[in-house]
Amino acid sequence: MRLSDRITGSVITTLGVLTTYGGSRLPPVPGQDVGPSAFPMVIGVGLIICGVLIALGIGHSFEEEAEADLAAIEGPTQRAQPADPLTYRLRALLPPGLLLFYVYAADRIGFVPTGALMIFAAALAFGAKLRVALPLAVLAPIAIHLIFYKLLRVPLPPGLLPMPW
Amino acid sequence: MIMNELIEAFRLVLAPDVLIAILLSSIYGLVIGSLPGLSATMATALLVPVTFYLSPIAAVATIIAASAMAIFSGDIPGCLLRIPGTPASAAYTDEAYAMTRNGQAEVALGAGLWFSALGGIAGTISLVVMAPALAELALNFSTFEYFWLAFLGLMCATLVARSSPIKAIASMLLGLLVACIGMENPGGVPRFTFGITDLLGGVEPIPALVGVFAVSEVIRAIVSPEPPPLPSRRFGSILAGQLTLTRKYWRQMTRGNIVGIIIGVLPGAGADMAAWVSYAMSKRFSKEPKKFGTGHPEGLVEAGASNNASLASGWVPALLFGIPGDTITAIAIGVLYMKGLNPGPTLFTERASSMYALYIIFILANILMIPLGIVMIRAASSILRAPRATIMPVILVCCAVGAFATGNNLFAVILVAAFGVIGYVMENNGYPVAAMVLGIVMGTMVEQSFVTSLIKSDGSLLPFFDRPVSAVLAAMTITALLWPAFFWLLKRFRPRQQRQAW
Repeated sequence: MRLSDRITGSVITTLGVLTTYGGSRLPPVPGQDVGPSAFPMVIGVGLIICGVLIALGIGHSFEEEAEADLAAIEGPTQRAQPADPLTYRLRALLPPGLLLFYVYAADRIGFVPTGALMIFAAALAFGAKLRVALPLAVLAPIAIHLIFYKLLRVPLPPGLLPMPW
Repeated sequence: MIMNELIEAFRLVLAPDVLIAILLSSIYGLVIGSLPGLSATMATALLVPVTFYLSPIAAVATIIAASAMAIFSGDIPGCLLRIPGTPASAAYTDEAYAMTRNGQAEVALGAGLWFSALGGIAGTISLVVMAPALAELALNFSTFEYFWLAFLGLMCATLVARSSPIKAIASMLLGLLVACIGMENPGGVPRFTFGITDLLGGVEPIPALVGVFAVSEVIRAIVSPEPPPLPSRRFGSILAGQLTLTRKYWRQMTRGNIVGIIIGVLPGAGADMAAWVSYAMSKRFSKEPKKFGTGHPEGLVEAGASNNASLASGWVPALLFGIPGDTITAIAIGVLYMKGLNPGPTLFTERASSMYALYIIFILANILMIPLGIVMIRAASSILRAPRATIMPVILVCCAVGAFATGNNLFAVILVAAFGVIGYVMENNGYPVAAMVLGIVMGTMVEQSFVTSLIKSDGSLLPFFDRPVSAVLAAMTITALLWPAFFWLLKRFRPRQQRQAW
């Protein structure tokens, strides 16, 4: 997801405006000039300035230098395939999606089944074969459960499949 | 007095739980560091939930050992595959790989190992010497100095980022903004919580760090092609010839150590920056710069010595002021607070034995690095064969469990997911995430010292510049702020000369 400086700069400017506005509406501490609103307003103004500068493309030359250095080390291979199909790039949403799935499912079906589903889905997305992904999805959550629940005493939800320990 | 504390420190370190923690976390660090895409910072972030259940010394020991090992073992895939295992190895990956092609893989890996260990020890010495001396000075600091110090730290982080300084400042401000969330502010009012109860306590740094450093790496891995497997090969003696190299390049090694130490102390700049600067410096001052890039060990020596030296000196501002010297100590500070070792100058007077223990752990970890590193190099071809498709899914689940463990709260997992996306998008668009992390970690401290100072001075800005130490710090901060602007103007008006000067 590579966006132009114009877009990211405007996003930051908007955020700065919202921060300044939100900060200015915070209630002051009675009898005190400086309260909880001072710091957010300073940040907001800073964000607005940075956002505008970025959108105008100032300071871009520094980035080009750094990129040239990196390209010299890593070679052109990293940037060789610019036109990946959209479905391929959409896979970027899978890891955060699986984390949200964990939040939704962990208390309902328990840690081990949730972990197994997460690992199975992620392994397939990484291109693992079924005979690798299946045993991994079964064994890895049990091992993680053993380490975190038994040794580190993290209260992982038992759910449908309580472990014997 | 000192003797007693030293003996006490040895007793602390030689406890069985600490020794086991050092050994296991060393192996963990070596493996994680050697896997491309899994950085030393990520290894440290994933260790945090484990440290909850350890004694304070064991907890700090795991972080020290794992990070030192990971920075070294990042050299292994760099040397054998031309893919740096950690960003700290990226600067000299090409050189190391060229040596492997010339049939000198042993020398390259040995140099990585040997000069990493020596660099780590040099960094530790700097920590031992610098920290207590600075602690004396820091005892006299008031909120004005702390404000400038924190501000200077944030500015340094933006200066050294390998990106546009404006984007770095924007990242830092975003981090400060994240730190504003919650009720922990001068007025005690809920700020930017949007009525979400989970946000009242603020955004915990640990889930944010796990998201930014671990989940975003998983995302990056899923959209990039799998690295090629490592051809299996047999190595000759790893350390043979390292003494000759040390004798030949001791000057470069020392320079690398010093540069690494300085960069480590600067807030926000860590091992990767140290390696880049040292490699460039080595090339600049070398008698035979033509040989660089063709498999010449000189730059390897200097940069390898530099990145490990920066690790230990990164702890100096972290222990003294709670200002992280790099992203690894940003995580370590959280652990220090949790373990009752609150950073501050008094740490060196009241908990001296714990500090000595910390020094001993550093030395021990760097000595242990040599035998374990040799084993790791020999085992690398089988470990690196572990396919990414099995490691990354497990890491993802560990991120979820680790974040959950920080407060037994599922909201932390949502934060991890959110910061994973934020980190990925930012990094892809040239916004350095390290600067944002620094902002998140230091936000509360900056705000408190800023607002307390303003209240003390009745809203006047003059006392910020009145006190001698704070005036010096202020001057440095303002220079740091204006430096990129000056540089940019210089470049704009003298484009030709500037090209040649570089």
